[in-house]
Amino acid sequence: MSGTAETLLEVRNLSRHFGAHQVLGDVSFDLRRGEILGLLGPNGSGKSTVLNIVSGFLAANGGSIGLNGRPIVNAGPENVTAAGLVRTFQLPSMPRRMTVREVVQAGDATTATLASATRPLRFDNEVDELIAAFNLGPVAGLPASSLSGGQKKLLSVAVALRCRPRILCLDEPTAGVHPNLRAEMVRILRRYNAEGVAMLVVEHDMLFIRDLCHRCVVLDRGEIIADCAPASLEDNPRVVEAYLGKAVEKGKLAS
Amino acid sequence: MSDFLIHVASIACIYGMLALSLNLQMGFTGLVNFGLIALFGCGIYGAALAHVMGWPLIAGLAAALVMAGLLGLFFARLGRRLSSDYWGIATLSIAEVIRITVMNESWTGGAQGISGLTLLFGDLRPWDGLARLGLFALALFATYLLCEKLVRSRFGLAMKLMREEPQLARALGHDINGIRARVMLISAAIAAVAGVLYAHYLTFVGPDQLVSADTFLIWSMVIVGGIANNRGVVVGAVLMQFAMAFVPFAKDLLGLPTDFVAAARLILVGGGILLFLLLKPQGLLPERVGAGK
Repeated sequence: MSGTAETLLEVRNLSRHFGAHQVLGDVSFDLRRGEILGLLGPNGSGKSTVLNIVSGFLAANGGSIGLNGRPIVNAGPENVTAAGLVRTFQLPSMPRRMTVREVVQAGDATTATLASATRPLRFDNEVDELIAAFNLGPVAGLPASSLSGGQKKLLSVAVALRCRPRILCLDEPTAGVHPNLRAEMVRILRRYNAEGVAMLVVEHDMLFIRDLCHRCVVLDRGEIIADCAPASLEDNPRVVEAYLGKAVEKGKLAS
Repeated sequence: MSDFLIHVASIACIYGMLALSLNLQMGFTGLVNFGLIALFGCGIYGAALAHVMGWPLIAGLAAALVMAGLLGLFFARLGRRLSSDYWGIATLSIAEVIRITVMNESWTGGAQGISGLTLLFGDLRPWDGLARLGLFALALFATYLLCEKLVRSRFGLAMKLMREEPQLARALGHDINGIRARVMLISAAIAAVAGVLYAHYLTFVGPDQLVSADTFLIWSMVIVGGIANNRGVVVGAVLMQFAMAFVPFAKDLLGLPTDFVAAARLILVGGGILLFLLLKPQGLLPERVGAGK
């Protein structure tokens, strides 16, 4: 698992403890260019901790993270985003006194300088393109907090893409989302993936994972127990025991 | 009576600038500053310092801007480590520390303060009052334009995102420490200019002008007028200032004792804040969501 030219994100020997509680032992994995990587595991296995450290919101106790060969561990979220990695949140909370369109525009931090105050506020074409791509056109003028839970998830992904990331980290993008919207989400994410955005997806929905991900890493109690294609997850007895559950028999997920 | 009206309108203009300054911080960026009066204090004592040293007015303005800028940056620096409610308490404490220090130091004139500052347009008598009002109104209008430009820009969108969803703002790459520092610098400069004008209007500077009750008067102007609406907070400043000024007339009319004036003013501030927060929290002119096109 050594980093190659194909490696975009290189996570090595990541560890983190909260007090005496070791949440991450020694986590290493790669995300390759153009890849969609699923990060799976039972509750408390350390998925969110990995995501928080990778996105710069949490400091690691040990280990390194390279983005395109550049170290980003403990760099702070704004610097990680500037380096090309942006994340969404499991429960996207949206502003009450900003419209959807304003929030998408605000996703571009690079032009939000003091000097921008010398010019009238203009929205980029990309804002309307993203709003159209995520079917948010009818609600674009509404306060962002007034959207439904599913629409907020779509908006949070749209805003994250506004940063023009090389890597998009998604924290449970379909939790609490209607199946129709979930299919829509897969379609949209595939489209941006085809345009070159690599993704790291934390998710519990196995159908979503199978539809979207090229590869999966499974965490259990802070250790990686599997690194394989989604289709071979159920062949791995450790994954079945720790995550999928013993009741899942071979072939059942495919149905 | 007309002199009195000119006086009240002049003070209302200065408080309007302070309300705009607080609105940039609290209304648009979510910076709950309870120590605003200390930034204003940098303005009035900057002017007083220049007077004592025999410097020209413009040097006093420069000193005021430097002191207010440093204090604003210090406030902003504290905000890195403190959540917004604790930051509010810290700003209030620092403002009080500054007031008490000013009261007990000799170079600031102590409790007696410093008097004899030049009166702006003093040689234009009898038109000096109107000339001052004109200058103050111009300064208020310029401040209003500056604030409008700021909040209706991409930087303004970043301020609002930081106000409501700081975590999302950081995830999207916004440097919230940088935004806080910039907003504090700009609002400190506004408060300092207001302070210099005020000092050269009253021609007297003292620690009584730094009491935290005045911070809450400015808060009441913002809350009554409309949080995050620049026009609203100017309306709030004018309304509150005129209400304050007419308390003595109400006292005479009702034949009440002199203590009534100070008490009634405090009740107006506290009551105004409470009444609006309970019944009309968005204020007289609510924030216009999505007004930026």
